[in-house]
Amino acid sequence: MIDRATDPLVSVSGLQKAYGALQVLQGIDLTMKPGERLVVIGPSGGGKSTLLRVMMGLENINGGSITFAGKPYIHAGAKPAKTAIDFQVRRSIGMVFQHYTLFPHLNVLQNLILAPCKVRGEKKSAATERANALLTRFGLGQKATAFPSQLSGGQKQRVAIARALMLDPKLMLFDEVTSALDPELVGEVEQVILQLARQDMPMMIVTHDMWFAKNIASRVLFCAGGVIVEDGPPEQVLGAPKEERTKDFIDRVFHIRQ
Amino acid sequence: MNYSFDFQSVTRNFGPLLDGLVVTLQLTAAANLIGLTLGFVVALMVMSRWAVVRWPATMFVEFFRCTPALVQIVWFFYCVPMLFNVFLGSVTMGILALGMNLTAFNAEAYRASIQAVPREQIDAGIALGLNPLQRILYIVLPNAFRASVPVLLTNGIGIFQQSALVAIVAVQDLMYQGKTLATQTYRPIETFTIVALIYFAVSFPVGQLVGYLERRRAGLAG
Repeated sequence: MIDRATDPLVSVSGLQKAYGALQVLQGIDLTMKPGERLVVIGPSGGGKSTLLRVMMGLENINGGSITFAGKPYIHAGAKPAKTAIDFQVRRSIGMVFQHYTLFPHLNVLQNLILAPCKVRGEKKSAATERANALLTRFGLGQKATAFPSQLSGGQKQRVAIARALMLDPKLMLFDEVTSALDPELVGEVEQVILQLARQDMPMMIVTHDMWFAKNIASRVLFCAGGVIVEDGPPEQVLGAPKEERTKDFIDRVFHIRQ
Repeated sequence: MNYSFDFQSVTRNFGPLLDGLVVTLQLTAAANLIGLTLGFVVALMVMSRWAVVRWPATMFVEFFRCTPALVQIVWFFYCVPMLFNVFLGSVTMGILALGMNLTAFNAEAYRASIQAVPREQIDAGIALGLNPLQRILYIVLPNAFRASVPVLLTNGIGIFQQSALVAIVAVQDLMYQGKTLATQTYRPIETFTIVALIYFAVSFPVGQLVGYLERRRAGLAG
């Protein structure tokens, strides 16, 4: 585990990822300290979501490596298919996706306890108790026996967050978790993430919601063209960006919002 | 038309028709048992990464999908004994022919629904730390089975109807009993009308059930 707050929780070095001829990540270097809340913003196709997917071990990589809590867990092989992933380390990371991805054949409670029971061998009764506590905390106490199809988008996404938390992650990745939601449902999901932030859960968030970015970030990355263009505190990157490309993007995004 | 209907000559002989229906239902049940189990195995083979496994399975499926069921039944009945020196009763032959036919169609139903499981579902399984076998057992297959049920039921009841073809190789099913009765009574219109109604009475509820399941599934989606 991390002893000092200054040791990096995650360190990404020289990360490269290509889909065929398309170079999506062009040598990303990044370190994240424990307790940091990184928000990644940038234009579509800039590599934000790919960065998160790679960190979760969902994609093969073409070059570079990633270390978590001092342990290297993803590094490139001779070819992308040979990407080495340490599954034990990866279990410390949780991820929530844009499209909920709840398992439709399982009810809310079963969605929550599947992984704890099958992956960690936790007793069903113990997992159920923890699951019910989490659901109550997220205002979903009445929904334990509901199926995903009976929930609103906001409820589904809160269940998805609870499901990821069941594995006690040491880092949470949120990939555009409010992008598919109706505007009036965005708030309830962001509140849950803010609640986690107040408990110092380290997280990386890809979002297009600048209000949310401003409220939750301890640090903002502007990612475009497969590189990190700007990296700094939210007041700088969102308020007074130094880089021309960041400035253009922020101007356009805030212009659209007004 | 100057024809006086006489349904009584058929209803008086309802016994043989019911015997035939029992044989037809047995054929259907046995063929479905083969089709549901073997179809799943063939679907897995069709999706295999190894060509030696994939190719024979694909050929099998395409053969049964691209030839008439009637030809398959006749082929089984006449060619299997000569080619392989295997002599089985006509009912067994009928079950095998119908079962193989259904296996091919069900394999396609299984394959399509397994491949229709969204990539995100599997990503979520990876993110939750499930290993490949657990992802198949707890995510892919339950998703796929639910999606395939309406198609499997449609295929299954299709075989109930197709089974009438085995009458041509002297299996004493509903169709065969109907033909016999029509010849004996000289009442083909009445006989085959009643035979058709019996097939309809069994198929129609299943068709309704499929419609209900599909509507329910559409309601559950999303």
